[in-house]
Amino acid sequence: MATMRRVVQSSVSTSDATTTSYGGLTSCKAADIVISDQFPAGLRVLVVDDDITCLKILEQMLHRCRYHVTTCPQAKVALNLLRERKGDVYMPDMDGYKLLEHVGLEMDLHIHLFSIKTFVMSADGSTRAVMKGIRHGACDYLIKPIREEELKNIWQHVVRKKWNENKELDSGSLDDTDQHKRGHDDAEYASSVNDATDTSLKPLKKRSNSKEEDDGEIDNDDPSIKETTLELHQQFVSAVNQLGIDKAVPKRILELMNVPGLTREMLPAICRFGSSPCESDIYGLFLLFDFTLLSDLVKSIAPHPTFMQKFRLYLKRISGVAQQGGIANPLCGPVEANVKIALAASGQIPPQTLAALHAELLVVAMDQPALLQATPQGPKCIQVDHGVAFVQHLVKANPVAPNTSHNPLHLLKMLLQGSDHGPLVTLVRQDPNGNMLIDLLQQQQQLQKPQQRSTVSELRRSINVQPSCHVVPSQSSASFQAGNSPVSVTQNGSYSRTAVIDYSLISSQSNCPSLNTGQVSDAFLVVTYPLLLFLPSVSSCSVNADSCASQQVQTSSMTFKASRLLPGFVHSTSNIPDPYGSTKSGDLLNQEPFNDLGYINKGTCLPPTLAMERFFSENIGTRVKQEPSMEFGDNAKVGIPMLQQQFPPNDLMSKVNPVKLLVSLSRNTVNILIIHGWASTRHLVYGGNT
Amino acid sequence: MDLVQLQRQFVDYKTSLYHEGFLDEQFTQLQELQDENNPDFVVEVVSLFFEDSERLLNELARALEQQSIDYKRIDAHVHQLKGSSSSIGAQRVQKVCIAFRNYCEEQNVEGCLKCLQQVRHEYSLVKTKLESLFQLEQQILTAGGSIPIFSRVTKLLKGIYLLSSLSLYHIFSV
Repeated sequence: MATMRRVVQSSVSTSDATTTSYGGLTSCKAADIVISDQFPAGLRVLVVDDDITCLKILEQMLHRCRYHVTTCPQAKVALNLLRERKGDVYMPDMDGYKLLEHVGLEMDLHIHLFSIKTFVMSADGSTRAVMKGIRHGACDYLIKPIREEELKNIWQHVVRKKWNENKELDSGSLDDTDQHKRGHDDAEYASSVNDATDTSLKPLKKRSNSKEEDDGEIDNDDPSIKETTLELHQQFVSAVNQLGIDKAVPKRILELMNVPGLTREMLPAICRFGSSPCESDIYGLFLLFDFTLLSDLVKSIAPHPTFMQKFRLYLKRISGVAQQGGIANPLCGPVEANVKIALAASGQIPPQTLAALHAELLVVAMDQPALLQATPQGPKCIQVDHGVAFVQHLVKANPVAPNTSHNPLHLLKMLLQGSDHGPLVTLVRQDPNGNMLIDLLQQQQQLQKPQQRSTVSELRRSINVQPSCHVVPSQSSASFQAGNSPVSVTQNGSYSRTAVIDYSLISSQSNCPSLNTGQVSDAFLVVTYPLLLFLPSVSSCSVNADSCASQQVQTSSMTFKASRLLPGFVHSTSNIPDPYGSTKSGDLLNQEPFNDLGYINKGTCLPPTLAMERFFSENIGTRVKQEPSMEFGDNAKVGIPMLQQQFPPNDLMSKVNPVKLLVSLSRNTVNILIIHGWASTRHLVYGGNT
Repeated sequence: MDLVQLQRQFVDYKTSLYHEGFLDEQFTQLQELQDENNPDFVVEVVSLFFEDSERLLNELARALEQQSIDYKRIDAHVHQLKGSSSSIGAQRVQKVCIAFRNYCEEQNVEGCLKCLQQVRHEYSLVKTKLESLFQLEQQILTAGGSIPIFSRVTKLLKGIYLLSSLSLYHIFSV
């Protein structure tokens, strides 16, 4: 049927608050939503319809609403546009619903993050069709002929979601919000879909409100999609396993999987964390936090329904799969949250996990459960990998840092899937003086030891960070390198966790004089595969993006897909200027936006990037995915989830431009983990050409 | 013909199109979308509609000639035609499309053929009418006048009607 889908993207303007309206919407804490005067002008809309007459009419209407319009008569092209890749879609004739599905599947995170709303438009107003549209994830169903007034209101869907997210953040009572939303939607749906009898002569103005893409909702209603993706996921995992990390490139994976209609672009979606579209938002969730806001972070993460629920779901599913995955289960608990939790969490965490938890120490616990255990063996290995999860507790360790008063405990749980690499988490802190503290240096050393990959026991490290530990780049690099050696990824999937700890990265601080770490100690947590990169925002750190070793990033051959950012949590660092935002947005957007998102926090750019660079260069074995995608918001904290990838060795010492790093990282497919970050769409320039 | 006469003729003609159901409110919307930035918007859209519809009608004819009729395909075409005609405001075409779709669902080839004929007929009617309308517009413009804004006219008429009906009521109720 000739359905049309319109995707509304919130546009992002990094530096220029006035250009794009929706960009003006930043949410730090729920209360702080700033809407520019021009809102909703500038809202980016992509219209897809095979009926060119309608297309033209809509284009004009949307122009009149002062939206940025891109029209597209073919679903294929539209999808490409969304992915910012032209002409490369190997998609057989796609109809509107398929497009919708694909968008939903692949862009789930984006949808949440960037408030991409999908609207179905059709001349067919039957209940059946409307249901279908809704089930495919449409935000709303408009019946043709469309009237201008209806279009004028589409922006509210975008905003509503954002506001709801913020509300959730703050209140922590997500369930209420969800229920409310759900209830509300149901009621609306019931009342509005009475509809569209074809016999009606007047254009039907009824809209049925589908339940919105609600990141808090588990898609229990759509088991079929879940199952399919689960199967695909398993296939993917076994394919990767078969190929071995080194050789797991998209093409080969596709061949092995041998699923008709599967394309490269879909791989990231499959490879990600959850097996159902609804879980995809965990994929690529970055955790960015600022120690100053760490308590908020924890609070927000923990109750976040999406994360928690989906994570649990995933865990449940995985624990069925992973025999050894004892770790998976305990992980479920900890995520509940509150800051003090770290302690609680640690209690729940198997003994191997965390070690010292000192109030004033930065502790990073890495946990590599089943993954490690699995001596890499065939397909089984992959399954086991699912159980990887780690929890980290971060405790501010630097007495110097002004914000050490927090005792933030941060729990991260990641379930990594399909990769042989365990998560590696490193915490790097940057003290106010601008010196990167190699907090994790110790950690690294500790990590080096336990490289017993062969052991079935999880590899857990807790890292104690000595306060005010300054790292000299050279030293750190050396040490890191040493640490990296055991990291080599073998075909069997052993991971080198330590490799991840490229704290030398952190030491890069010295190399980045331009990095102005004015403030608060920011720490970033770099977690390797699944990689969690936490780049705490530097509240007023102005980072000179260019000074960083951009070359590194650029020359890096890693292709990395930034995982999508989950906008769920917002840590505001609104006052933080975004050096990269403006520059990067252009670059980033043209990458494969799917799956990976990185928000870069300006402040933290230096150390993390270096670390990441290094890490990636040395540790990552194979690039599973080639498509780069990166998005980041300027102020946002950046998290980059990364899949185990082997990155070509880079000169770690050079300053790394975090933004560039993110870009390069994003070129690899990332299986990410959780990214909790500030998801202001303002800073995300998402695809689209207008 | 002088300008005023042309304009009056234009208004009358247009009103009749609405009354006869050739056009509906959606067409008014289209006109409202036209502005200085897009002065030929309506003409452009309508031309697109013509092209598209002709293509669809040919496809439909071809599909119905087949040995084994692919009703899904026919339905898709009709659906599209319905969508575009409703966007333009070609009401009568749209109505026939609705009936057409019903026959498609029933897989009634006779009904479909009959509907196809009807659609063609309605389509050519509306096409002729719109073309005449545009011609009138063109004449007015070349004569140096401006196109009477229909919506205002109708609103005015409606207002007058209301007013008159109200006053009548008042008289009676007294």
